[in-house]
Amino acid sequence: MDILSQLWGGFAVAALPINLALIVAGCFAGTLIGALPGLGPVNGVAILIPLTFAFGLDATSSMILLSAVYYGCMYGGRISAILLNIPGDEPAIMTTLDGYPMAKKGQAADALAISGVASFIGATLATIGLTLFAPLLAKAAIYFGPADYFALYVMAFATIGGITGTDPRKTLLAALLGLMLGTVGLDPSTGVARYTFGSFNLYDGFDPIVALVGLFAISEILFFLEEKAHGGGLVPPGRVFPRLTRVKEGLGASLRGSIIGFIAGILPGAGASLGAVMSYSFEKRLSDKGTFGTGDPRGVAAPEAGNNAASGGALIPMLTLGVPGSGTTAVMLAMLISLNIQPGPLLFERSPDLVWGLVAALYLANFVLLILNLPLIGLFTRVLGMPAWILMPLVVAISYLGVYAITHAAFDLLVMVGFGILGFVLRKLDFSLVPVVLGLLLGMDMENNLRRALSISGGDFMVLFQSPIAIGLYAVTAAFLCFSLWLTRRSKEPEMPVSED
Amino acid sequence: MTDRLAGLFFLLLATGYVWLSAGYTAGFGDPLGPAIFPRVIGIPAILLGLTLMIWPQHSADWAGSAGLIRQATAIALLLGYALLLEPLGFVPTSFAAILGLGLLMGAPPVGGFLTAALAAPGLYILFDRLMGLPLPLLGTWFG
Repeated sequence: MDILSQLWGGFAVAALPINLALIVAGCFAGTLIGALPGLGPVNGVAILIPLTFAFGLDATSSMILLSAVYYGCMYGGRISAILLNIPGDEPAIMTTLDGYPMAKKGQAADALAISGVASFIGATLATIGLTLFAPLLAKAAIYFGPADYFALYVMAFATIGGITGTDPRKTLLAALLGLMLGTVGLDPSTGVARYTFGSFNLYDGFDPIVALVGLFAISEILFFLEEKAHGGGLVPPGRVFPRLTRVKEGLGASLRGSIIGFIAGILPGAGASLGAVMSYSFEKRLSDKGTFGTGDPRGVAAPEAGNNAASGGALIPMLTLGVPGSGTTAVMLAMLISLNIQPGPLLFERSPDLVWGLVAALYLANFVLLILNLPLIGLFTRVLGMPAWILMPLVVAISYLGVYAITHAAFDLLVMVGFGILGFVLRKLDFSLVPVVLGLLLGMDMENNLRRALSISGGDFMVLFQSPIAIGLYAVTAAFLCFSLWLTRRSKEPEMPVSED
Repeated sequence: MTDRLAGLFFLLLATGYVWLSAGYTAGFGDPLGPAIFPRVIGIPAILLGLTLMIWPQHSADWAGSAGLIRQATAIALLLGYALLLEPLGFVPTSFAAILGLGLLMGAPPVGGFLTAALAAPGLYILFDRLMGLPLPLLGTWFG
């Protein structure tokens, strides 16, 4: 009952006119960002953050807007996956497998409806899961001491991206690079300037927001310039109205996909892409009779439910522990930290309006998205014809104006471009960017917890390995690293792309 | 091959990073001091960089020469946009950047020109005038 009354309070926050407007705007923008190939949840949310700062939105409203965009992206990614055979964003890759064949058979309207309903089921179940499990995890996390937090951060860095088949050494190196970049600037405890090379511009360190826009939005431009997009050409939607019987065929797969996706989302390092991949392969193993890959409705429903559920699940570790499980939630964490709000167990006590307002907003966003994505789907299919040479330069201009509006410094624009080049090179070398972002974001807090633990023990490093929580976390970390090393040994060629969503 | 280079890069970077940390000292009673944490993260980075150099797993495929030229041009454009935004103002620099990047991405000349000509002032009006984000209209060179 406690949860219900708090949720009720959340709806009072979410129903404020400004927040309702942001939900609708976020859902619309998110579906659009998701549908347009080349723009995904991470870079979409990254370019929006400077704008939310510049408009002076408070933390609750900003989180509502960004989460609506995040959910919207998961709905929108399927549109171009089905009609163009190009995933609108990374998690939608699995949707192309059966979605595009359905569209070619003239069943595009069915495929869009099945995936729309599956998205709704996945996202709604995940939001219910978030409502139930996040407070529990937050309660448990209150018992964490400084040494445990240090261990938790070590685990987060070691495991993020760990099961996607990339070389775990690279994940660790990426995290360490992020941590190194995070130490640039004045040391908060002693006031010593570290790694600033005498430049006053660097005394405040790298602004994580500026770094994020560079890493995700600018590096995407450089990527785009080398690849030629190859899709199957826009398929005309065929019949206008979906058949209800086809939609029903996908319901079971949607439910199973939601549960798998939700669990994948909570795991550190696994984002929506992994949720979609796991849901699809499970459904294929369960019910494939040679129809998967040729336009089976269940092959459309499962990954869509999976990626939507995973995005809800990914919010749980970010809100309760302050350790995001995916790139997009890392970007949201950056925004909260910049607004002086430290996510973690105390967030639920100190800012119930933010937490429950956000949860309530997600329920509302799902209904808005269902309306946008079923009756109004035609709006978005028309945008798909927009050529990249219009879209991508606009993304650049909006990134520049957003970053300039919050920093008023041309120096930060150069930092942004620098991070863009860094992000491009790292991605080319098969390094994931999410650990870099996490390192940059969490480095200061990690160092502070280490300091706190050591000042309690009087400088004895053994304090780090004394609490049972910390030992447990190190054991999980070690097991995880061994498992992922074994995984990379087994398959030399990584099957999955580096996940950034 | 690229893994070996990446390993070497991380090795050099982390070595320099740890070496520089020796210069950071604080006189008063902080148990950790400003130099320890950089070592805690720098030393594993040195070791991991070393293993990546010795046992590489992956080699990146770079774009062909045309792609590399496009990317280098784009970087030059992006740097120019950043450096000239304040001196020249938002509208002319955005016009040039949108046009240049559009052409690099294969825009037809007229279409790219029209996009830039509409978008540069359009973004200024939308964000500065309607939404109140202060952007430099006329740069310091004209102001």
